[in-house]
Amino acid sequence: MTRGSRFRNFAIGSPMLWIAVFVVVPYLIVVLFSFLTRDPEGIVKWTLTLENYREIFSPVFLRVCRNSFVLALGTTALTLLLAYPFAYILTRIDENIRRFLLVLMIIPFWTSSLIRTYALIILFKANGLLNTFLLSTGLISEPLSILYTETAVFIGLVYTLLPFMILPLYASLLKLDRRLMEAARDLGATSRHVFFHIVLPLTLPGIIAGSTMVFLPALGLFYIPDLLGGARSMLIGNFIKNQFLTTSHWPLGSAASVVLTLLMVVLLVWFFISTRRAHSGDMETVR
Amino acid sequence: MKKVLVLFLAFFLPLGAFAADREVYVFNWSQYIDPAVLELFQKETGITVKYSTFESNEAMFAKLKILKKDGYDVAFPSTYFVERMRRLGMLKPLDRAKLPNMKNLNQDLLDKPYDPSNAYSVPYMWGSSAIGVNAKVVDPATVTSWDDLWNPAYKGKVLLMDDVRDVFAMSLRSLGYSANETDPARLKEAYEKLLKLKPSVKVFNSDSPKQPFLNNEVVIGQIWGGEVYQANEENPDIKYIYPKEGATFWADNMVIPASTRNIDNAHAFIDFMCRPDVAKMNCEYVGYATANAKAQEMLDEKTRNHKAVYPDKADLDRGEFQTDVGDAIMTYEKYWEMLKTQ
Repeated sequence: MTRGSRFRNFAIGSPMLWIAVFVVVPYLIVVLFSFLTRDPEGIVKWTLTLENYREIFSPVFLRVCRNSFVLALGTTALTLLLAYPFAYILTRIDENIRRFLLVLMIIPFWTSSLIRTYALIILFKANGLLNTFLLSTGLISEPLSILYTETAVFIGLVYTLLPFMILPLYASLLKLDRRLMEAARDLGATSRHVFFHIVLPLTLPGIIAGSTMVFLPALGLFYIPDLLGGARSMLIGNFIKNQFLTTSHWPLGSAASVVLTLLMVVLLVWFFISTRRAHSGDMETVR
Repeated sequence: MKKVLVLFLAFFLPLGAFAADREVYVFNWSQYIDPAVLELFQKETGITVKYSTFESNEAMFAKLKILKKDGYDVAFPSTYFVERMRRLGMLKPLDRAKLPNMKNLNQDLLDKPYDPSNAYSVPYMWGSSAIGVNAKVVDPATVTSWDDLWNPAYKGKVLLMDDVRDVFAMSLRSLGYSANETDPARLKEAYEKLLKLKPSVKVFNSDSPKQPFLNNEVVIGQIWGGEVYQANEENPDIKYIYPKEGATFWADNMVIPASTRNIDNAHAFIDFMCRPDVAKMNCEYVGYATANAKAQEMLDEKTRNHKAVYPDKADLDRGEFQTDVGDAIMTYEKYWEMLKTQ
């Protein structure tokens, strides 16, 4: 064995071992538990059953899923609308300003997102900074009700997940060949045409990557909707947590986790296929 | 490669295979003891405290359930978990002869349905959940009952706990039933009554219910007495009312798990915790009500007489401690999910 290959084995082997021990094995336990029976006297009974999966497809769980999907889709759409122009401008400005803006975007990550969510509460509460300011300027006569509304939930989710949309978009916009746009313009295309027929198709991989990186976490996050929305509705995350912590129904909670994971796998496969298609698309454009 | 593997395994192998006669393994909620108490215990008895913490009763229960031996010597479950663990044979009976300091405890807190005659548990800290109001908006004299939460005047200004048992306890008591009801028909009735309250609810919060009150987001709702006491340092207008149907009470208790390594050290630790000076240290550090009557007398007058923290005997007797509802919890959760997704 040469020194190089030993190092390679170690470099590949140790993270693999880590993932196997702390991700794969625990996940297999979750899958196993989803087929076992609840034990009111302990944790699980070793009786195999499909009952948990039957129980999960109840109207209540479907409503829980719908709530989560609506929230995640809305968040993805809003972040995309905000991030695209920002990432586009980012590739067009002076490099020093660009670097400064990117650093500004990363800095909030030095603080836990939970603490940043609490900071939003201080901003939005009835006697918070925003309302105090607006009241003192006379723009409003009664405090605006922002906290514990859907608006607050979307503000919180978009704020937390925006960088995950900006970064892939920025990367794919940076790779964009400017000469293609110039050529289109020379051939008489309007700005709208250039955007919809050249820029958008070529940055599709970035859009898909960004959307996946926003959508999947938004589906699982439940502390932001709980803290900012007042916990008046139930999301998949809450549902899973309650099965483990309230009813000690670990098998049902496990089954819900497996269903959520399968949904995410389907989305990732779709993401993989559409990226490939988008890439082959841009090969054709170049040809 | 082999060497790396050996090192890796050595790192993860359990290190604690030593004699347990001068040690006591304590398993408590996080931030729930004055660290100086542990040092004092070590200095006075020569017994080393091995201290670990948990964040929820369920997590503690799961861990104790898995450990068959060489587990913890003292754990701190809440009332309804004391009952469940006792029923499942997970606790060792206490030897009262080894706990002379139990005489210092508040006698009104002993011999409750979750552990008759305290054969298995010693109360540590306790408190209540009742009605909080902002006196600037709601006249506290007009609020006497859980039913006042349903008053349409408070629409959009009500806070409920984000906890299925606490919310149902309130609804059940308002219907004249026990907070620990297991009859499905009565739970359904409580759910239907809660459905009528849902449109009035601005927020479900059981992390820190005082915050929405302090933020002027709500004017009436469920809250813990201890939270009102803390809120009053910032805003004295937040008032606490024990409803006529009775408040819900909670207590955390010291127990000896069946997997104990050294039952004498466990008793020594529990007895030490019942010493008035030690209980006072913990109470001042943690901020909840102490179950130790002698320690309570030693507190400053303002704290000792704050009704939100230390209720009258009448209010205590009218209330109910949470007990384990067994499999009825599945019915509770089903209605809770329906309530939350309506």
